[in-house]
Amino acid sequence: MDFQTNFNPEKPYVMHIDLNSCFAMVEQQANPLLRNKPVAVAAYATSSGCILAASYEAKRLGVKTGMRVKEGRLLCPSLIVLPPDAPKYRDVHLKLRKVLSSYTNDFVPRSIDEFVLNLKDYPVSAKGMTNIGLEIKKRIKKEVGDYLTVSVGISTNRFLAKTACSLHKPDGLEEINKDNFESVFSKLNLVDLCGIKARNASRLMGMGIYSVSQFYDSPIWKLKAAFSSIAGYYWWVRLHGFEIDDVEWGRRSYGNSYSLPKPFKSPKDLSPILAKLSEKTGFRLRKAGYKVQGVHLALLFKDHTYWHKGLKLPHPIFDSRDIFKTAFRLMCKSPLPKPVANIAVSCFNLTKKDTLQLNLFENIEKKKELVSAVDNINKRWGHFVVAQGGMLETSDYVPDRIAFGGVKELEEITTD
Amino acid sequence: MIQRISEPVSVVSTFNSATKKVYPTNIVWRQRIYKITKIGLHHTYRQGRTLYHVFSVASQNLFFRLVLNSETLFWRLEEISDGLSN
Repeated sequence: MDFQTNFNPEKPYVMHIDLNSCFAMVEQQANPLLRNKPVAVAAYATSSGCILAASYEAKRLGVKTGMRVKEGRLLCPSLIVLPPDAPKYRDVHLKLRKVLSSYTNDFVPRSIDEFVLNLKDYPVSAKGMTNIGLEIKKRIKKEVGDYLTVSVGISTNRFLAKTACSLHKPDGLEEINKDNFESVFSKLNLVDLCGIKARNASRLMGMGIYSVSQFYDSPIWKLKAAFSSIAGYYWWVRLHGFEIDDVEWGRRSYGNSYSLPKPFKSPKDLSPILAKLSEKTGFRLRKAGYKVQGVHLALLFKDHTYWHKGLKLPHPIFDSRDIFKTAFRLMCKSPLPKPVANIAVSCFNLTKKDTLQLNLFENIEKKKELVSAVDNINKRWGHFVVAQGGMLETSDYVPDRIAFGGVKELEEITTD
Repeated sequence: MIQRISEPVSVVSTFNSATKKVYPTNIVWRQRIYKITKIGLHHTYRQGRTLYHVFSVASQNLFFRLVLNSETLFWRLEEISDGLSN
């Protein structure tokens, strides 16, 4: 197989847009009294809550995503800590989507705060990619929020557009093309590349690749050997500016997880939370018209050990109560009692089959109608207005959250 | 400091036909009038079929989170803040 060994000579038409410090900046947009102050959005505003986003003022003082609130406060005693407000961030996402959709219909949200646009063959590209980037920045300030800033990266593929986007934050606009890629690569470390962290970096170093420039210059066989897989070839394609990441993965499962505010130990304590997670998952998959033939339960314990188990079912199920029953059976096989930090339920083997296997012991059609009636009540009056009894006293648990990098979740908010 | 309130509140709002925007201009809360000087963000969410409009606004030195129930057209003050750390 012959490969072109130079950087992609085409004009760059791929644009990556990233809303800087998304959650924190949206909070500063909403509350003008928080602007230019160190702000952090944390999963819980308590001292052990995990920081999800920090404003640039907080970042300058060393506050980082993933830190505990108490660690953030040690670095910055005046840190303003806020709980997340998912509907607010989703609304901003939809407004950004509206602005970007006026340039191309070939755009994909990569997460709640990231979009990739492909402007190739669109008339608007005649304006020039840099001018379009500047125009988008202006329109976001005018149409979404005057305090919001985005970083824009332009290149010939998604990966390099994202890399360009991260070169200058906040409010950057950078391009990586055939003329400047060498100088950009020479200033980057391996771990600056999205997807290369300590483990992959050590794999590359094992093959004598210590810099991004060396990574770029390495032949395919060497990269395949470094990664011991086809991934080496994908990296070669990415770094040479060709597209390999424009793949849309279909939906293969539905799930919900929850980090517990206090470490529950026994199945009895965890059961109401499991019921609520099952109800959330069940409602979402029924809304999308799916039934499932498998349930998976995962438990992360306080001591950082992990347990998980899945179960394939003989017939498809759709009722949240059945999901709960299966998940509870799985939970009884777990090494409880032991303090649990995080619990996750997911359903797999999705099917859209309309016909269901009739059951000798229960009336499936009647059940279908009952579940549909309950779903309609909840759609009209709000989630969990009618819910299974096992969920009692769970109103403070499993709040509405934005999934990290949850591209699939975004499909659901745009079809509401 | 942020304080959760969740009380009915009187709101004067205006609609600008040129910009097609609605926003609160004054609120009356606990016998005091607050003039809105800055609109931070307007966003919406649904609870069931009911659409709620949330106006994040500020007076000279206080932030207000105002929520309009689009079914009843009643306003509620959900939160106030002075923009300082808790």
